[in-house]
Amino acid sequence: MSGQDRRAGGRRGISGDVWNALALFGLTALLILGSRWISPGFGGWSQAKAILVLSSFVVVVAFGQQLVILTGGLDLSIASVMTMGGVLAFTFIGASSPALLWGVPGVLLLTAAIGALNGIGVVWLRVPPFIMTLAMGIIVYGATLGLTGGTPRGQPSPLLSALFTADLAGVPLVIYLISVLAVLGTLLQRGTGFGRRLYAVGTNPAAAHIAGLPVRRITMMTYVISGASAGLAGVLMVGYAGGATLTMGQSYQLPSIAAVVVGGTSILGGSGLYLGAVGGALLLTTFSTVIASIGIAEGWRTVIYGIVILLALLLLREELYVWVGRLAARPGGIPPRSTPSTAMTGGNK
Amino acid sequence: MSAARVAMAQPPLTLDVAGVAKSYGATIALQRVTFDLRRGEVHALLGENGAGKSTLVKILSGIVRPDSGSVRLAGQPFEPHSLLAARAAGVSTAFQELSLLPNLSVATNLTLPRQRKGPVGLGSRRLNEAKAAELLAECDATDIDPGALVADLSLAEKQRVEIVRAVSQRPRLLILDEPTAALAEPEWLFRIVERLAATGVGVLYISHRLAEVRRLCLRGTVLRNGESIATVDLADAQDTDIFRMMVGRGAEEATQRTRGTQQRAAEAPALMLKDLRGAGVEGVSLDLHRGEIVGVAALEGQGQRDLFRILGGAAPAESGVIAVQAKPVRFADPRHALHAGIGFVPEERKTEGIFLGMTTASNISLPILGRLLRLGLIDGRRERAEVREAARGVDLPDRYIGMRISALSGGNQQKALIARVLLSGARILVLFDPTRGVDVGTKEVIYGVIRQFATGGGSVLLYSTELSELVQLAHRCLVMYRGRIVGEATGEGLTEQRLVSLASGHGRAA
Repeated sequence: MSGQDRRAGGRRGISGDVWNALALFGLTALLILGSRWISPGFGGWSQAKAILVLSSFVVVVAFGQQLVILTGGLDLSIASVMTMGGVLAFTFIGASSPALLWGVPGVLLLTAAIGALNGIGVVWLRVPPFIMTLAMGIIVYGATLGLTGGTPRGQPSPLLSALFTADLAGVPLVIYLISVLAVLGTLLQRGTGFGRRLYAVGTNPAAAHIAGLPVRRITMMTYVISGASAGLAGVLMVGYAGGATLTMGQSYQLPSIAAVVVGGTSILGGSGLYLGAVGGALLLTTFSTVIASIGIAEGWRTVIYGIVILLALLLLREELYVWVGRLAARPGGIPPRSTPSTAMTGGNK
Repeated sequence: MSAARVAMAQPPLTLDVAGVAKSYGATIALQRVTFDLRRGEVHALLGENGAGKSTLVKILSGIVRPDSGSVRLAGQPFEPHSLLAARAAGVSTAFQELSLLPNLSVATNLTLPRQRKGPVGLGSRRLNEAKAAELLAECDATDIDPGALVADLSLAEKQRVEIVRAVSQRPRLLILDEPTAALAEPEWLFRIVERLAATGVGVLYISHRLAEVRRLCLRGTVLRNGESIATVDLADAQDTDIFRMMVGRGAEEATQRTRGTQQRAAEAPALMLKDLRGAGVEGVSLDLHRGEIVGVAALEGQGQRDLFRILGGAAPAESGVIAVQAKPVRFADPRHALHAGIGFVPEERKTEGIFLGMTTASNISLPILGRLLRLGLIDGRRERAEVREAARGVDLPDRYIGMRISALSGGNQQKALIARVLLSGARILVLFDPTRGVDVGTKEVIYGVIRQFATGGGSVLLYSTELSELVQLAHRCLVMYRGRIVGEATGEGLTEQRLVSLASGHGRAA
């Protein structure tokens, strides 16, 4: 109750969310400029470019993660799905450019299918999202390990690498790619019927059910999209790193959630904008780059990064508490038959 | 007050309630309640839904505290601050909303909070079950297994366990709130009540069923709008007198209403139910014609809620026929009901009706998103136009359209919800208490919308907790009782008194 009222009072409609996103972009720019204090080599356009490129993986993976969170769920399988996407691209596409034509769609289809399994578990088998996706993550990681025998073998794809090395008007191609994605993603949320219904389901699944919305299909779709976006992030990483490892997705699990939440999306579902998640991804990436440049050793760097993300999440602590309670009670977006006054048996059988 | 009170050698009062009042914020639940209950007396508490009976039960049980007034128990001031304190003072209650813990056994429920301890100091299952069996035997309920989980019992068995538990506290005052609502054999309870009364226990008996009340009680107090209207000697009072006291005076004044004569036989009913069954619904048949507003009246929990949820597609029907325009339909989902042209307004606006986080416009346009698309995107201009027109239909001012719906008053939220349902193109409206918690002005608007919808050839099935609303709006009114339709009131016979007497299970007699 209070959560909903607060949310309603805090941000109004589209403009509030857009302002929120712009504030994050501004904060990112400030942080980049401010890093001149650390070294005169920083704070310039080249560093901004490097950060944008680095953040592209979180930007991509946060898209699907955000849709899932908008319905009040969570996808904990994206790290493994990303790894699997990358390993498959590395193994099967290899150096062959024509193979990209069938290879990339193939990887996306397969990772979308993994997402679909998540969706089936959450929506139809009514497994709580974090248990379902955590288990799926372990299974997918195991399958990747089994398929590769521990060492992914393949070749880097020159065309994928070109996304990061080639530029147009001084801007790497991948930045165009994520810009287009940011626009399309925001449009999907705010401009389409699917987006509108998604918010309705996230805001009030019981009312969405009564209003005749296909609650289960919409919830399912968010997991499918999340799988595919994690797959795409994995493919992009192969282009960036020129190879694939079994741990390549590992460090993206928490950032994918943190970018969404820092970007102003309610972890309870129902409110938030992709543009905000993009801003969150940029800010987090900038931050990790800056602490890396201070010269702190890798292990401690990760510790600091983890703490900062945790702090960012704790800023929404009150919501988190409610959310934990709700997640436990509501596995599939369709409310439980807790009390007679809210029981809805329709369509659950 | 009553004649019996003059009698000499009357036993001391077990309960003396004087001028008790209770408000919840702006809502006055009890204005002024005064009555007394003698030692060994079974005293009836009568009143409509919302008359204040349950608030009184809560006060006497120590769950809520009164704002003013005094309560004395056996001559001592009685101001319990908790359920346990009330119990310790000698008042125990069998609640209508059963207060058993479903995930524990009958024995545990009966022996909490004083579990029998075994030699090691831990709760002993064997000792508890033995104790529970003893308590059950005292109440002649040996057919209930003390080891069974409460969740596995039938509703009637749960109700009996609830009663046994209240009796087992050895109270001085036993409160029974609608104790026979789920009982198949009320005689079992009557024997217990009579036995306790004979030993001097006072019993406050709350029931809608006058026949039962007459069987057990000599006196009864009628509550209306939170006030004790009178304490009557039941032997001297006619049923109709009691109903009149329950409903109030104004009820007889017939409200002017136009009951359009329906062209029934000519065409197939817009909605036809035949022997419809589901959880809580025990075989309901009805016809709803074009242009007709049919009311449903019932006391709380008589299956009306379940019936409306089945029609809205929100609960499954187990058997029977639902036919829309003579075409049988099956609903597994509210979507199917919408496709069949049924627009459902649920009971709980905030949890099942509206989307608090979204704007009023997005709330209203939800059912027509599909036809607002241009090149795959929602055409904002057309959306605003459609929403504005729908909002006008329910008298919702334009300035609210762009606002978050959470910023609107309850009345305006309800208007928006009705606008959404109307926009879905429904030809049959299934409205469950559509004016609950809205202001008077909005009520009038909603009445107007309902009438206009019917005049335009639509059909409306309307449940309301306010009988005056049904009398005013409906062309005819069906009365539900225990999951069935037990009566119908039409034309001049459609009065609040008749509805109350039918709803209390008095059939066609009253």
